[in-house]
Amino acid sequence: MAGTSLGARFYRQIRRHPALIPMISFIGLGMGSAALYLLRLALHSPDVCWDRKNNPEPWNRLNPNDQYKFLAVSTDYKKLKKDRPDF
Amino acid sequence: MAHPLQLGLQDASSPIMEELLYFHDHALMIVFLISSLVLYTISLMLTTKLMHTSTMNAQMVETMWTILPAAILTSIALPSLRILYMTDEINNPLLTIKTMGHQWYWSYEYTDYMDLNFDSYMIPTLDLKPGELRLLEVDNRTVLPMETPIRMLISSEDVLHSWAVPSLGLKTDAIPGRLNQTTLSATRPGLFYGQCSEICGSNHSFMPIVLELIPLKHFETWSALTS
Repeated sequence: MAGTSLGARFYRQIRRHPALIPMISFIGLGMGSAALYLLRLALHSPDVCWDRKNNPEPWNRLNPNDQYKFLAVSTDYKKLKKDRPDF
Repeated sequence: MAHPLQLGLQDASSPIMEELLYFHDHALMIVFLISSLVLYTISLMLTTKLMHTSTMNAQMVETMWTILPAAILTSIALPSLRILYMTDEINNPLLTIKTMGHQWYWSYEYTDYMDLNFDSYMIPTLDLKPGELRLLEVDNRTVLPMETPIRMLISSEDVLHSWAVPSLGLKTDAIPGRLNQTTLSATRPGLFYGQCSEICGSNHSFMPIVLELIPLKHFETWSALTS
């Protein structure tokens, strides 16, 4: 039957209870941010090892100029001087 | 140190603690506003003879009391996260001090430019001089230069302890077998008191921390004298 797909049923329910729209959007925003942050941690965190052959211990290859944290309030990592030897 | 019957946070003596004070004021104000609104609403509900017993459809109020709490929570979360990341920033410490927790005293090691190592026991109440603070004074204070970032490396020799100085916004656990790091930066000279903040046995309440922050020139004189 037409109009019994998931999207159509959802749309009809929302029309009956429009007060649910803010709640769904805030929950969606929260869960989406959490998922995106988890993805960022998985891909960019130096504590995570995906490739045991080519990049076995990423935490040993940190640069003093890279920003690993999500937010830098008053430190400009590009401006930091690198004052230790390369291995 | 706290004054008697103090309810709020101690005056801030470091930049991070100032931020924390402002954030605490902001969050507490929100809590007071919400609590007074709820109390007022309850009092309204309880002091009326009117009744409404049929099911209601209340889309507008439902929308409002979804959006408004979400906005309030966001206004609490954003400054909180900002301060959290700020406490973790790199700030080029000029001095490194190691402190080890023991049962039941702290020991400090200054090994950057000198070879200084001392224990810091609480002064028993019977031995206090007039004007000294009970359960807060120590025999050897930790002397540090003010207005300089100092790296504190904190660990323990036996059980869990925690090295805390509230007016500088510091609290770091001392865990045996682990080295924890925190940065200290005081904006003014003076004595800053703290107490062990992790239960560690019978004298857990009797192993305080006293930081004596002095200008760098005087610190250099002191360190020349003591090494």
